[in-house]
Parts: sequence; structure tokens; C-alpha cells
Amino acid sequence: MRRAIKRLLGLGLLLTVISMVTFAAMNILGDPLFNILGPIAGDVDNPESVKIIEEAKEQYYLDKSLPERYARWAGDFVTGDFGVRFSATGQPPVTDLIKERFPRTLQLMIMAQLIAVGLAIPWAVTAASRANSKTDKTSTVTAFAFVSLPNFALAVILFYVFSIRLDWLPDVYTATDPFWGFTHNHRLIQNLLPALTLGLGGAAAYQRLLRTDLITTLQEDFILMARSKGVSRRKVLYKHALRPSLFSLITVLAINISYMIGGALVVETFFRIPGLGTAVVEAVLREDFPVVLAIVMIVATAFMVFNYLADLLYGVIDPRVRTNEKESTPIFRSLWKSQTNLEAEEKINDETVEVSS
Amino acid sequence: MTYPTDEEHPLLVLEDYRIGFNTERGLAKAVDGVSLTLKRGQTLGIVGESGSGKTVLNRGVIGLLAARNTVESGSAKFEGEELVGENRQAFWGTKMAMIFQDPMTSLNPVMKVGNQVMEPLRQHQKLSKSEAKKRVADIFTLVGIPEPIKRLDQYPHELSGGMRQRVMISIALAIEPDLLIADEPTTSLDVTVQKYILDLLTRVQKEQGMSMVLITHDLGVARGRADEILVMYGGRVMEHAPTEDLFEKMSHPYTSALFSSIPHLHHKKHTRLTPIPGTPPDIVEPPTGCRFAPRCTYAQEICLLESPPMTQEGNHRYACFFPIGIQQGQEALTTNQQRGHTASGLQIQKKAEAI
Repeated sequence: MRRAIKRLLGLGLLLTVISMVTFAAMNILGDPLFNILGPIAGDVDNPESVKIIEEAKEQYYLDKSLPERYARWAGDFVTGDFGVRFSATGQPPVTDLIKERFPRTLQLMIMAQLIAVGLAIPWAVTAASRANSKTDKTSTVTAFAFVSLPNFALAVILFYVFSIRLDWLPDVYTATDPFWGFTHNHRLIQNLLPALTLGLGGAAAYQRLLRTDLITTLQEDFILMARSKGVSRRKVLYKHALRPSLFSLITVLAINISYMIGGALVVETFFRIPGLGTAVVEAVLREDFPVVLAIVMIVATAFMVFNYLADLLYGVIDPRVRTNEKESTPIFRSLWKSQTNLEAEEKINDETVEVSS
Repeated sequence: MTYPTDEEHPLLVLEDYRIGFNTERGLAKAVDGVSLTLKRGQTLGIVGESGSGKTVLNRGVIGLLAARNTVESGSAKFEGEELVGENRQAFWGTKMAMIFQDPMTSLNPVMKVGNQVMEPLRQHQKLSKSEAKKRVADIFTLVGIPEPIKRLDQYPHELSGGMRQRVMISIALAIEPDLLIADEPTTSLDVTVQKYILDLLTRVQKEQGMSMVLITHDLGVARGRADEILVMYGGRVMEHAPTEDLFEKMSHPYTSALFSSIPHLHHKKHTRLTPIPGTPPDIVEPPTGCRFAPRCTYAQEICLLESPPMTQEGNHRYACFFPIGIQQGQEALTTNQQRGHTASGLQIQKKAEAI
């Protein structure tokens, strides 16, 4: 339990620092008034304009000192309010904008990662089990092709083949369509091409990582041992070799997912998906700081959360990582200690009670 | 037709068995024409220093070498069935089992040990989970693992080296194999555990009536546990005899050199051991003649030119022109001592004595 609390405190501290730095940097570098008011913002000689400027400053708290503004923002942020946009109308509020855009990016990201991991694992296992054979060499060349092919090029190719030529997949993304369903009017299907664009590149990168780790694992004595037990080739690969080889993949996966939470600009733009990626670019160009800040906070949180999940996953995969945490919390204990161990322990506890009574 | 299981029909027969690996320099002849016979219920000790080909020989027979770059020839018959050129997967986990050298690395670190022992039982004998669990608990008791039920759910890292080796032995024994290959089963264990493990292996081997190949670099380990001992060097058989015969009448200079290089209980304090000079031969381009000649104190000119044929004396066979214990051998040694070096130019030092 102490560990979890420490981790949570760390997350809080990190978010505070990141938000302070971002907040300060953006307020020092730009002039948000121009985006709120337009050309009037520069018209400081005209008393009427000055009046409007003063009013706007007051409305957006721009007349307050930086620490005060930060404190105000932080207070709102904690209650889930990301503040008001720095635009002419200030509408929609940042929170609403994020609520609208974040799910789209999240759906795309999850689909892309599922495709990437789903392809990478069998691909890497096949390649590693025949290391340096023709199959492996072909797959290496293919992987490098996908890794080095830029997103936009792959997007164009996939779009042309599957949408225009074959007409298997829809060519428009409609943000108002329902997500779950299997027709062209569901976003699940509309997301396939963009997810594939992101997923193929990811799969190739993951395949390179996992293949190397698998080749190392396959040279271990326990693989020979498993084979000598008569375990089938397939089982040796998937049951004995895969699990201890997943560490690097999980590490990179956690980083990649967190990174992609911030949106995939190129793919979102190409397939016209109004997600976080496009939102952040618009916001940066218009110096719409509250939006940028909100997305920065989301990405930072994602990094912390996914890296924590990765740490937990290491323990699930490899029992040797667990030992330090055994005494942590009852929840973790039931997860990590086998049932029999627990029962045995309870028995011992019962016995001690009996003896003492 | 079932294969007869009486003692007359040997379990394993190798004839001129060879294994080579394709390397950039050429074919590395790791096993170069080995012939042997292993009877049912018997233990064969294979002894030799590192690189003598003993491990490759056994992995080759069981079929665990990577197929690519490996060239196998000659004949290896298991229960009368030819193995060379055939896939031996059907024997794995059913009739053949192997115990590896290092229990620290030979168990899957992320699998519970119980599952690792149960795996071949569930797969080959189609036991249910509870049946398999019961069997494994019985075997754990047999090999001396305390609290067997609790151990089932532990991971290898939670066990000591000796316990892990017992788990490995359980894996091999659980399937009740006909042939058990123990590849240096005690090398990475400390001495107190070594004896226990070796005694355990021999006891269970006798009880279950299986044949065992005990690979070791330590003649002392093979002594008293193996019925026969085969001494290998550079991929070839140097000497092969029933254990008692071998120690009574060591014929090959290599066997003798190997024996002198390990400490013995009857040695006086501070006895200097006699190391074998030089290093094992290059197996890609092996020396012509006897493989051991360059390091042999008995070597004469003919040893460098011709491969010594196998001399058979009853159950005892050896490949040497100048074996110990007969006149030619003694003369060869005297000649070399007089000229101060052997035919290959190896300097002969005065025999080391107690200091």
C-alpha cells in the first residue's frame, strides 16, 4: 500500500511541475489577447479599444500576476475544469472540447495498438523461431520497409488500395456516427484504415524488439529442456519462450501508448478525424493556451499511468519481479500469492491462534 | 511388433556414429566415429574433458541439436529403430529424458515447478490435472523434496540449487523413460549436494530399471555409479571398459592422465596434481594420427602419422599403439624420457613428487 501511495504522490508532484513549466512558458512566450480580440488588441492608442482590452484582460484574468493565475487554473483543474479557451467566444469550454475529442483519439489509439501487438507477436515468433533463415530475412526487410515508410505515405497507399480501388472500407469519418457496429456508418469500421496506418508501423517496430528478445530466450537451457520433454514446437514458442521475452515490448508499448494519447496529427489530418492531435495543433497555432495545457496534462498523466501499469505487468509476467512487493497490500497479495500458499498461511495462522488460546 | 525388453537386446547401439557442424572454416567433427552398446538397466559413464564431444554425442542421439548446419552419419539404433536421419520427437518425454547440467538455467523461471513437471505427463500420458498433481507430489517425495504439495506452486527462484536439480530429476523420472541422459548433473552443485543427487539418480535408475548415460568430466563420479565407462577425447573413443576393469588396468595414456589430474583421497597432503599439458584438439582440422598424440607423454612417430586402431581385449577396448601396462608402452615412455621430449616435441618434465 505504501508503494502505491508513494507512486500516487510522485504522479501529483510530476503533474504540478509539468503544469507550472508549461503554464509559465506559454504565458511568457505569447500574447493571448490577440487571439481573443483580434487586431484590436494592438490598437492601444484608441481609448475605446483600450477599454475592450481592459475588459478582456479582466475576463480572462490576464491582469493578474502569473502565480495567481496559475493558482486559479490549478484550483479549477483539480475539480475537473480545464478553464476557458483563449478565443473570441471562449466556447466551447476546454473541458467540453476535450470530452468531445479525447474519446476519438483513444478509440483510434487502442485499435492501432491492438493491431500492432496482434501482428507483432506472431510475426516475431515466426521470425525468431527461424532466425537467419530466408523467412526471417524477408521479414526483416519487410519490417524495415514499414518502419521507414512515413505515416502519410502509408496512409495514402492504404487509402488508395482499400478505400478507392477495392472499396472495402469507408473513405469518410463522420464524428456523429455511432462507434460500435460493423457497417460503413460505424466509426469502428471508419477507424480501421487510420488504425492500420498507425498499427503497421508499430507492428514492425515491436517485431524488431520482440524478435531479438525471443532469439535470446530461445538459446536458454530451459527451452532445450522443454523440447526434451516432448513439448510441441508451437507450445515451446508460445508457452515457454514468449512470456519471458516480453519485457522490452511492454516497456516500449507503455511509452508508445502514452505518446499516442496526445493524438496522431498526420493520420488524424489525413483521414479527417477531429481528435486531440488536430486540436493541439490548432491550439498551438492560435496560442489557445488552456487547450494546449489540458492536452499536455493528459499526456503527462498517461505516461505516469501506463508506466505504472507496465511495472505491474512485469510482475505478472515474471514472478522474480514480485518478491519485493509481496508485503505491499492485501489486493496485491491475493493476485500474486497462489491460493494454496494463502490457504497454508491461514492454516498456520489458525494453528497459532489455537495454540495461544 | 513390440521390441523385446530382455537384457540380451541392447537399448542403444551406436556404430561409427558421427556428428559434424558446418562452420565457416569447414566441417567441425565433434563426434568422429563412436561405437557403443548400452544394455537395459545399465549405466554408462562417458568421461572426457570439455570439448571432448560427450555432450554433443548425447544431444545428437536424443536429437536435440539444431538441424541446420548439423551433419549426422553412421548408425544409432534405439530399441532396434534407426535414429539417424529420423525425427526423434516421438521419443521425447516418453522414452528418452534428459537432465541438464545447470538447474539454475534449465527450469523455466516464469512457470511454477509443478506445472513444469506435469507438462509431459499431461501431454503424453493424458493424465488429468489432479492425477498429474498426485503423481508429481509422489515423485517429489521420492526424490526427497520436502513439503511436495507446497512446492508444486513455487517458482524455480524460490528453490535452492539442490532442490531445483531434484525438480529436474523429477521431470525426467516422471515419464519413466527407458533412457535417461544425465549431462553433468552435479557440476554446478556444491559437494555436499552432489553425492546426494548422484546416489539418488543411481538408486532410482536401479528401481525403475532404466538405462542411464552419465556424462561427467570427473572419473571419480563415474566410478562406483557406472557399470561401464567410456573415455572420449576429440570426438573419439579412447578407452571403453567395465568400470572395475578400467580402474584396475588403465590402458590409454589419456585415461591415466585424466585420472592423475584430479585429487584423490589417498593422496598425501600437498600432493601436486599432474595437469594434462596443452589444450583439446582443433576439431575442424584435427591432427593426423592419434588425436591425443600432441599432448601425450607416450607419443612416438607412428602416433602422429596413423590413427591407432581399436584393440579389443574381452570387454576392454582402447585405441592406442603404446598402451600402459604392456612392454611397448613402457618402452615408449622410457624412450621419450631419455630424449627429454616426445615425438611431437612436447617437453617431458620429471614426474612431480610430493613437496
